[in-house]
Amino acid sequence: MKFIGRALLTGLVALGISPVAAQTPGGVINVATVGEPPTMDPMVSTADLVGIVTQHFYETLFTFDKDWKVTPLLAATMPEITEGGKVYTIKLRRDVTFHDGSPMTADDVVASLKRWMDLASRGKQTASNIDKVEVVDPATVRITLKAPYAPLLALLAFNNSAAVIMPAKKMENPLKEPVGTGPYMLKDRKADQYIQLVRYDGYKPREGAPDGYGGARKPLLDEIRFVPVPDPNTRIEGAISGQFDYVDALPVEAYDRLKGQKATQPVVLKPFGWPVFVMNTKQGVMANVDTRMAARLSLSMEDMLAAAFGSTDFYSLDAAMYPQGYVWHTNAGTEGKYNVADAEKAKALLKKANYDGSPVRILTSRQYEFHYKMAQVAAEYLKQAGFKVDMQVVDWATLTQRRADPAVWDIYITHSPFLPEPALIGQLSESSPGWWSTPARKQAVDAFNAESDPQKRVELWANVQKVMYDETPSIKIGDFNALAAQAPKVEGVVPAPWPYFWNVSIKK
Amino acid sequence: MAAVASNPEQVRFLTLLIRRRTVLVGLMVLLTIACVAILAPVIAPYAPNKLSVVNRLKPPSATFWFGTDEFGRDVLSRTIYAGQLSLLVGVCVVCFASVFGIALGLVAGFFRRLDTPVARFIDAMMAFPDILLAIALVAALGPSLATVIVALGIVYTPRLARIVRASTLVIRELPYVEAARALGVSTWRIMTRHVLRNLVSPILVQATFIFAYAMLAEAGLSFLGLGVSPEVPTWGTMIAAGRQYVGRADWMTLFPGIAIILSVLSLQMVGDGLRDLLDPRFRKDL
Amino acid sequence: MGRYVLQRLLGMLAVMFVVVTIVFVIVRIAPGDPAAVMLGPDATPQDVAALRGRLGLDRPLLVQYAFFLAQLVRGDLGESIFLNQPVLSAIADRAEPTFFLTLFSILIAAVIAIPIGVLSAYKRGSLFDQSATTLAMLAASVPSFWLGLLLIQFFAVRFGLFPVSGYGGPGASFMTRLSHLVLPAFALGIVSSALILRFTRASMLDVLNDDYVRTARSKGMSEFRVVMKHAFKNALIPVLTVIGLTAALLVSGAVVTETVFGLPGVGSLVVSAVLRRDYPIIQGALLVIAALYVLINFLIDMLYLAVDPRVRY
Repeated sequence: MKFIGRALLTGLVALGISPVAAQTPGGVINVATVGEPPTMDPMVSTADLVGIVTQHFYETLFTFDKDWKVTPLLAATMPEITEGGKVYTIKLRRDVTFHDGSPMTADDVVASLKRWMDLASRGKQTASNIDKVEVVDPATVRITLKAPYAPLLALLAFNNSAAVIMPAKKMENPLKEPVGTGPYMLKDRKADQYIQLVRYDGYKPREGAPDGYGGARKPLLDEIRFVPVPDPNTRIEGAISGQFDYVDALPVEAYDRLKGQKATQPVVLKPFGWPVFVMNTKQGVMANVDTRMAARLSLSMEDMLAAAFGSTDFYSLDAAMYPQGYVWHTNAGTEGKYNVADAEKAKALLKKANYDGSPVRILTSRQYEFHYKMAQVAAEYLKQAGFKVDMQVVDWATLTQRRADPAVWDIYITHSPFLPEPALIGQLSESSPGWWSTPARKQAVDAFNAESDPQKRVELWANVQKVMYDETPSIKIGDFNALAAQAPKVEGVVPAPWPYFWNVSIKK
Repeated sequence: MAAVASNPEQVRFLTLLIRRRTVLVGLMVLLTIACVAILAPVIAPYAPNKLSVVNRLKPPSATFWFGTDEFGRDVLSRTIYAGQLSLLVGVCVVCFASVFGIALGLVAGFFRRLDTPVARFIDAMMAFPDILLAIALVAALGPSLATVIVALGIVYTPRLARIVRASTLVIRELPYVEAARALGVSTWRIMTRHVLRNLVSPILVQATFIFAYAMLAEAGLSFLGLGVSPEVPTWGTMIAAGRQYVGRADWMTLFPGIAIILSVLSLQMVGDGLRDLLDPRFRKDL
Repeated sequence: MGRYVLQRLLGMLAVMFVVVTIVFVIVRIAPGDPAAVMLGPDATPQDVAALRGRLGLDRPLLVQYAFFLAQLVRGDLGESIFLNQPVLSAIADRAEPTFFLTLFSILIAAVIAIPIGVLSAYKRGSLFDQSATTLAMLAASVPSFWLGLLLIQFFAVRFGLFPVSGYGGPGASFMTRLSHLVLPAFALGIVSSALILRFTRASMLDVLNDDYVRTARSKGMSEFRVVMKHAFKNALIPVLTVIGLTAALLVSGAVVTETVFGLPGVGSLVVSAVLRRDYPIIQGALLVIAALYVLINFLIDMLYLAVDPRVRY
């Protein structure tokens, strides 16, 4: 599976190329993030921001290498898979200690996985496929599935709603003090001001070279400070003035302002991901499949992307769920259903659906300015097609809370990086907000998940995409690039959808 | 105003008022802004919500005098239409605060038994900083144009009530009012006939300032994202939207900002002139 | 005098009581079940029921009110939902930037307004006086957040003289934190100088016409001494009162200014609390700020009493 390794880095800044050996340890960096994370518990939240921060102190059994293949992290090796893909035997590393000094054992791992299956949305989704999780010996655990389930390892590796390993004694909910195994530990957190991480001196990196999120993770910096800066313009200004060493999630249009600055340089991730309008299929206006299709057909993806990202340097029209260059790329089912902007067709469908004129409640936030801009353009197009629109602009944290309640919204706007495993796409799960649950979904997704042959999975994925276009549980708007900014003195940052700061140092 | 000018003393007052340069300039600017806003559909070159993504972020030019915003909407047209809503908020808040403020003040000033509780209530309301109280009320009522008006109306009601109460307390002791009461004139008549008439000027002054503060407060609330829905053009929401383009498309924040400043300034000029005439302590031509 | 103090004290307590009642009502008019609203949609029905019990929401409104008062008397303002922290300690954490922002804004406003106000009064009707008055009105017409955006663009981004946002990282020195306050304090100070200027001018005009100033003049004192020693000294008391009142007004301005400059103060706490639907924080912050205002007013009154023996009732 050749993923985005190639595409990740456009040659704007030569990053991550400098040999690690030349890096000097020490120093502090200030990282501006999009806001205050709602929690420090990566299991209970699917917010990217929570993953970005917590991946420095909590680790998973597996993770992704630079080609987005699953690679061991706290596990010693890749698991031994037996009984036709139903039993996973996982050997653990023996030299791993938690931040409180206690060694990590199979008991901690089993307790953590159980907590994940209880609390995490992706864990709950996985739990229905799991028969049991058990300790084999202090350094081995075994997961037994009810039926073969191909996405299991990707789910265990993902840093979002993550299956992180916590000490069995320190995993209350809500979490009191985060104790993990990561290269950094949480020292201090002042809400709306900073999250201060310091190096964990007892951290033992894996052997070998860094490899994406896998390989050796070396805590070179003394401290990492995540500073919540919800206003995008303040993030831009903070980068230009040199107040922040790394600034995440900038509006791509800031590129020109960042270029040629002394204190900072733009970093483009291409292609980064896809903005998506998720439909509430359970309750309200969008519970009707024709209404959803009417919404899809009324929209001009081109105008939405142009308003949100400015120039085609930063976006491309793309109906497929994965862009070209990904093994998952296909145009199955997209014919005549993307970037149509046909108000008449939409009106006809609305009539068929007996749309009663109740307002479409669009839930969006301004933390990600492009969400809000797409929402505004979409609102105009929806109105032209005869929809009534009620735009609800809230804090991102509030949005993540509200979208859990089917009674209060019809469309919410989010985005996702191109995920290493399509099964991780949120809208495919019946339990994720949107609650898409139809026989067609079940048939297509189950077939895809049960298949372990990579070649066959590609074909089955095309089928899933076709059902997504038929039933419109969500509307993919297009592909977009992401922009971050980084001070020239910082070296070793590998552009990644969830930026991480181990193996990063400051030029002396 | 026609009602005010019905007696010769007040005609003299108005003449004096108009003769002051700042008041005249203020009134003219204010009337111009109001006319432009009311005639928006005629004057504005484009529809305020007309998207034209190819024309986004164009600097001011002959086609787009004030430039365009990130959706390619004409900033001039939006500034003009925004004036409608910003002024509407101001007018409604003033009306709301006047009706309730006058009622509350009259009741407190006239009925001894109600005075203490009403006065305490006024004091307590004044203890909340205006924006903060408005924010809390909007949070409780849910953000919309109507709740912003109600919230700001509630915020400014005690300010008017306090003035009305203080004046009422003085006026009710005046010999002719006492005489009227002795003659058996009904309380209602006394209030409307004698008290309110004497209160017209101070209320007018205060109303002018409340108008100005309400416009500033609405802009502040909208800027924070706690006011009118962001896709509704008011000067506050326009500045909030333009914030991201400061340094790149300054016209997006500049023009609505100037519009606010001009309206608030002209209101203050009028209010200031009014007060100078009424309160000799501030009179410049002492 | 003792009776007067007692009377004022009782009055203050009465106002305080009304303040508490108003806050109680505002939070209760929020639509829906306050417990469900407070906990957010993620809460389980059990959580909501538990909180309803704890808040006493299942009881009649009057009982709830008594309950709320009892909680307040114990100094308990409840728990923040988003921050997982008692409301009072969350507010205490944010008090410093707000306090210094208010203080510096007043200082800046006073430094700008008082000399200009004195000179305006002295040269009343002159071109200087007229332009000062007009400028003051102009300053009062500028939205502080708009001015803030300009200042950031100019002094922080273009010239890099001051930080763009925030209040320094962990263990930031006082000087660092101070540097974060310069721009917001100017944004707020300039906007609020107008009121102080107007009052300085007015109260100077008052005293310049008083007999003792005329006497001093007739005794051949230099104009400067007359203005400074006799007039200004006497004009100062009302000016100080206005400054005190401006301080209270500034809290309003601080709400918006803190948000523009990313200062972690009480104002931005309230704004983010509204966006996060963190009702206990909104309720607590309103109570604390209003109570402070009432208290400051009371203290100013008492100060007057101590300073100026003519104030007697």
